[in-house]
Amino acid sequence: MAYEQVSVKTPLGLRVLPFASLLLFLGTWQAVIDFGVVPNTMLASPTQVFKLFLVKLTDPNPDGAVLIRHAWTSVQEAFTGYILALLVGIPLGLLMGWFVVVEGLARPIFELIRPIPPIAWIPLTIFWFGIGITGKVFIIWVAGIVPCVINSFVGVRMTNPTLIQMARTYGASDWQIFRQICIPSALPMVFGALQIALAYCWTNLVGAELLAADNGLGYLITMGRRLALPDMVVLGMIMVGLTGVVIGVIIDYVEKRLLAGIRR
Amino acid sequence: MAKPIRSIANEVQMQVKEKRPFTILTVLKNRWFLYTVSITAFFLLWDTVAYRRVFGGGLARPQEVITQLGKMMVDTMAGKSLMGHVWASTHRILIGFSLASIVAVPLGLMMALNRYVNAFVRPVFDLLKPMPPIAWISIAILWFGIGEESKVFIIVVGTFVPCLLNAFNGVRLIEPQLYDVVRMLGGNRRDEIIQVCFPAAFPAIFAGLQISLSIAWTCVLAAELVSSRSGLGFIIIQGMTLSKPAQIIGGMLLIAVAAWGMSLLVSGLEKFLCPWKREVMSQ
Repeated sequence: MAYEQVSVKTPLGLRVLPFASLLLFLGTWQAVIDFGVVPNTMLASPTQVFKLFLVKLTDPNPDGAVLIRHAWTSVQEAFTGYILALLVGIPLGLLMGWFVVVEGLARPIFELIRPIPPIAWIPLTIFWFGIGITGKVFIIWVAGIVPCVINSFVGVRMTNPTLIQMARTYGASDWQIFRQICIPSALPMVFGALQIALAYCWTNLVGAELLAADNGLGYLITMGRRLALPDMVVLGMIMVGLTGVVIGVIIDYVEKRLLAGIRR
Repeated sequence: MAKPIRSIANEVQMQVKEKRPFTILTVLKNRWFLYTVSITAFFLLWDTVAYRRVFGGGLARPQEVITQLGKMMVDTMAGKSLMGHVWASTHRILIGFSLASIVAVPLGLMMALNRYVNAFVRPVFDLLKPMPPIAWISIAILWFGIGEESKVFIIVVGTFVPCLLNAFNGVRLIEPQLYDVVRMLGGNRRDEIIQVCFPAAFPAIFAGLQISLSIAWTCVLAAELVSSRSGLGFIIIQGMTLSKPAQIIGGMLLIAVAAWGMSLLVSGLEKFLCPWKREVMSQ
């Protein structure tokens, strides 16, 4: 009896508290707008944002496209850059981890470029590619390739040396060791890069769109600021967060399916 | 128990490592030779591409970048010398970064140590976490105008998340055996927290600070690109408006140097403050 009481009592508070804090957060947000603590020109209340969300689903004004189209443009750009980053970054990182020559040739350049935040590439890409999709894909590619290379490199480097020595004892060639031991053992790290790279890509996409775009979620936010419509800014922010979460969940699912047989 | 001066097992392993791929190409396998080749090739390629004007006027030659950097050292732009602009960015980062870490790290520790704090803060944090810090720029400008406050605010928002998450996970991922040891030696909850939690979570906290730092650079740049009159972001956006690629690339290089220097500083601080950190990737 006493045991049951203890085990039930503690989680009850813990169960209520998250909802209480969320309600408190949203309630305060709504209240500061409704009671005029914060002027409506600076922040929109949750209900206003929700109303605008419903309107924006069908109404392309005042920024020229409906919400779904903005989101779709952003997702398209992010995915193109992301996939390209995976296609280049992962093989490069794997090869860098195993072959000394590849590492020696690629690493200095990589280390030179790595500390530059991808956002800093924006002015140059505008010069090179204009404000079309190519420039944004390039920035996202730069953002996504760094975690891909680092993770696959570290993954190969962390291969258990005993396995490599064993394979060598059995007369395996370098290429065989790389393909049959290093790559499989690096896979969990490589898949870890998928999520990290996605988060990087998504952040930098918003940055790229804030500066140079005529479409997309970042553009929605910028337009909201230019037209001094805080509800549009907040809607854009929420949509960016939401879309990011949805993509993250999808990648997570794919990752789980692909890694079904691999011990983590 | 004399320590072996030369471990035989290590000796064997070293030899095995030396016999890794490409032993035949003794000259070519030298790492430093390859590094030199790579850097030289990179700069040659860059120079050729710029000289042949593959991107039109959109790429400056390396020597032009250096000349431009030298010129910017002397000239002033928008009332500030080059070092003044570097300092403007660094200054913003230092303020935002310290504000965020002073609040976020203790909060993360508290969330990990107390379930009620966690239950209260977590939902709001999870709600705000997925929004990239750059998405806050517009609302920051609406709130604080285009002055310093909006930039510092964005840096705080951006660095808050990794600081808090790493402090939280750092405590959560402590090996339970360590607690058992303290308890077995007669320690109470306070001892557990002070003797185990803090020291063991330290490396994770510092890893979070490193991540925050690189995010802080991204944030400050984005904020400065959108609107500012000083800072490194201003230099590169100015280079774009004046269509001077040399200035843009010079600015990018300075950003790289500054970011690299700051992260070096943090890792130095980490080595100084927590020498017990285990090296994960020693080789």
